[in-house]
Amino acid sequence: METIYNAHLALKDKKISAKELCAEHIKVAKENLNNTFITLTEDYALEKAKKIDNAGIKSFLDGIPFSLKDLFITKNIRTTAGSKMLYNYVPPYEGTTSANLQNSGAVLIGKVGCDEFGMGSSNENTAFGAVNFPMNKDYLPGGSSGASAVSVLEGSSLFSMGTDTGGSVRLPANFCGLVGYKPTYGRVSRYGQIAYASSLDQASPFARTPLDIAIIMDAITKNDEKDSTQAPIGAMNSAEKILKNKETKLSLAIGIDRSMVDNCREDVRDNLNDSIKLLEKRGVKFKDISLPHLKYSVAVYYVIATSEASSNLARFDGVHFGYSAKGGQDLEDSYALSRSEGFHEEVKRRILLGTFCLSSGYSDEYYSHACKVRKLIYNDFQNAFNECDYVYSPVCATTSFKKDELMTPLQMYMNDLYTIPVNLAGLPSMAIPYGKSSMNSLPTGFQLIGNSFKDEDLILDGHKIFEVLK
Amino acid sequence: MSKYEPVIGIEIHVQLNTLTKAWCNCELKINGFENHYVCEVCSAQPGTLPVVNKQAVDYALMLGLATNCTINKTSYYDRKNYFYPDLPKGYQITQFKTPICEDGLVEIGSENGDSKKIRIERIQLEEDTGKSTHYNDYSLINLNRAGTPLVEIVTKPDFETAKEVTNFLKKIQSILVYLDVSKGNLQDGNMRCDVNLSLKPIGSKTLGTRTEVKNLNSFRSVERAIAHEKIRQASVLDKGDKVLQQTLLFDVDTGANRVLRTKSDADDYRYMPEPDLLALSVTEGQIKKLKENLPELPTDKVERFIKEFNIPKYDAEVICSEKKLANYFEKACSLHQGNAYKKISNWVMVELLKLVNEAKADIETLKLTPKHLVELVELIESGKISGKIAKDIFVEVYDTGKYPSDIVTDKGLEQNSDTSEIEEIIKEIINAHPKEVAELKSGRDRVMGFFVGQVMKKTQGKANPKITSDLVSKLLEL
Repeated sequence: METIYNAHLALKDKKISAKELCAEHIKVAKENLNNTFITLTEDYALEKAKKIDNAGIKSFLDGIPFSLKDLFITKNIRTTAGSKMLYNYVPPYEGTTSANLQNSGAVLIGKVGCDEFGMGSSNENTAFGAVNFPMNKDYLPGGSSGASAVSVLEGSSLFSMGTDTGGSVRLPANFCGLVGYKPTYGRVSRYGQIAYASSLDQASPFARTPLDIAIIMDAITKNDEKDSTQAPIGAMNSAEKILKNKETKLSLAIGIDRSMVDNCREDVRDNLNDSIKLLEKRGVKFKDISLPHLKYSVAVYYVIATSEASSNLARFDGVHFGYSAKGGQDLEDSYALSRSEGFHEEVKRRILLGTFCLSSGYSDEYYSHACKVRKLIYNDFQNAFNECDYVYSPVCATTSFKKDELMTPLQMYMNDLYTIPVNLAGLPSMAIPYGKSSMNSLPTGFQLIGNSFKDEDLILDGHKIFEVLK
Repeated sequence: MSKYEPVIGIEIHVQLNTLTKAWCNCELKINGFENHYVCEVCSAQPGTLPVVNKQAVDYALMLGLATNCTINKTSYYDRKNYFYPDLPKGYQITQFKTPICEDGLVEIGSENGDSKKIRIERIQLEEDTGKSTHYNDYSLINLNRAGTPLVEIVTKPDFETAKEVTNFLKKIQSILVYLDVSKGNLQDGNMRCDVNLSLKPIGSKTLGTRTEVKNLNSFRSVERAIAHEKIRQASVLDKGDKVLQQTLLFDVDTGANRVLRTKSDADDYRYMPEPDLLALSVTEGQIKKLKENLPELPTDKVERFIKEFNIPKYDAEVICSEKKLANYFEKACSLHQGNAYKKISNWVMVELLKLVNEAKADIETLKLTPKHLVELVELIESGKISGKIAKDIFVEVYDTGKYPSDIVTDKGLEQNSDTSEIEEIIKEIINAHPKEVAELKSGRDRVMGFFVGQVMKKTQGKANPKITSDLVSKLLEL
């Protein structure tokens, strides 16, 4: 019963009630072995589950317990962004993703931790303490949506919503052996999702199977007039399509830049090559492609993302909401104190970096230049999609890394080398687990990147591939 | 002063009178109960996003069309980043690189009475801030105004005198009101003007360093600030010093401009494209539709009034400078049965405007309606009352709203055109003034006025002056 779909069948067959199902998951959450949750919504969840039991199970998500990364706004439920800055922030409005999921019947168990404002790859940059990796306590679940992955892994949620700006969902999904799905930019409304980098952020689900991902995506892709950057193309209907589909043959052309696989650590590389062989056996044609500008991705990302962040995070000034430091001598001093005390190091680093990149005299050299290279990266993928349906890529060159592994910020940033290009190009990508490392027995996997707004195809084919490799 | 000539350009911020705010559905009620017209978007709660108000876009386009601008089919929103408590997002959404309208042209009257063309550099869409009120040891913020749609109009440095600037402002104000896109009131802050001014030696092509003067909330302040700034910069230059690139604040009490900040510590607004909004696309069809539905503009109305009512250009311009006044005049003309439009225009421009301006009254709610005015003019035209009587009762009509014909009847003010009665009076006067009779007979025509005056005196102004003078001529066999 670890998947949404199986739980749904059990609920429908009355093998378990929604209240029981939620209680089971809340129990795990309350044991708090991994410091997953920042805010639990137990009473609220049980109340809702009871209502669903009374009304009967209709949709796939009715009675399904889930968690939200604490970047998702929830009306009247504290939303912290993992930051001291919003330690006591209770939003006066409801975010679209939260509303869509709850209106579809899913039961919110609570809000889970994350790297502050989604900035990080380890889930350690947080005012609420790092999240443990249930598979091996010496390792990390990855970030920034690490706690979302852990909530699925530990069994406190059947699915969780994270946000993926540069790989923040696909990386922890990969480390935790889950399916992580980053939709096309503009497929899911960003209204009520605390912004890190607006042109890159995308709400992205964690689940155990592509079918579950389909169920979630169908619920969160409704048109939302409050986000004008969302493409008004209506909700997906992919779960039904997966269930109806009987075709298992993989007549797909998948592009691959072999050097990307070759540059991975041996244990990861071996498993990736294995998966490629297996897929070839099942009919997939792998085509060698070249993505020559991807090597600039990390540089481009850290200019664009931090520039946008420096502006997006300006509203946290201690005046209107959030942390407000005492003792400022004047306005400027109060701003400086509130922001110095309210933000952690990584957020400050990125704000400073972005402020620099946008400064007059530097903006053309950094920001405008990065935007141009971003376009080239997009073009690289478009050229590839002229020849193939999808692009195959590693998610990370390694498995999860150890807690005490000392990394400079730059080394940490390089973990996102393979995930970042997808965000820069605005493409959809599914992180699919495959195999265990021969070195540390931790999960490995790859990502399948689709073309813009081919989300439904990607999820349908991702499902087939997942089933083949299972 | 004579050594230098000023080069002046201005920026005008105009609050659009849309129903809702620029990026959210909050009702636009700046003066409503404090912080009551505020939602999660305009208070910049985390996670919120802006959505473009289409009405504001239409209004900006209408203004662009009315000022002969080029409309950019694709324009972009940008963020201007700066910290201030009444700017809750920490950035203003504006149009920095590509505004919605560019390269406009507006014709104004210049100092010597000729017309002059002022070039508009750009019209950009943006948003207003909230309002801070500062007290001794604390400040209060009201966000009702935050997110009010604005357009900023930036001119080329085409002004040479303060009068040209105020003429331009008045022209823009009248266009705004004609289009009904803004209340256009300087005093209420619907329209705010910043003046950029530099001096250069007369005849020189090289521009001097400019300063920017803010806080000008009346035409008078604009003129005073320009006058002060010219003198201030001239004295700096005369001393051999350099004018600093500064932002100044006009002080209404002292009439002086004091330094708000010096630009050398470079305001760096770290402009960036607004990632939360798509490019703003305007279609040919949208422009065409707006053009077709564009209300008549002041310049067109002037032309039409000249043609239709055969009034002088000067009259038409005075009347059309204010939409309500023009409507009043046009209504009166439409009610009028004859063609004494020039008479109507005279009454409107002189007597009516005098009373309206004294009382600062709203032309639309006057007791003296166009119908009253037309009746008055027609009473004169038909010879029923004299112009003098008409002037006398005008104030009463204005104050009470009584119809002129009723007042004339009630008070027995009707003009006397009874020749035999007037003849009798003239005969008496001829007999009593032989000296004047001799003078008139000897050809001193202006003595006729004496006779008419005497008759008026005896009839309390009711004798018809034309008939009177005709009778005098007849009786004296002139």
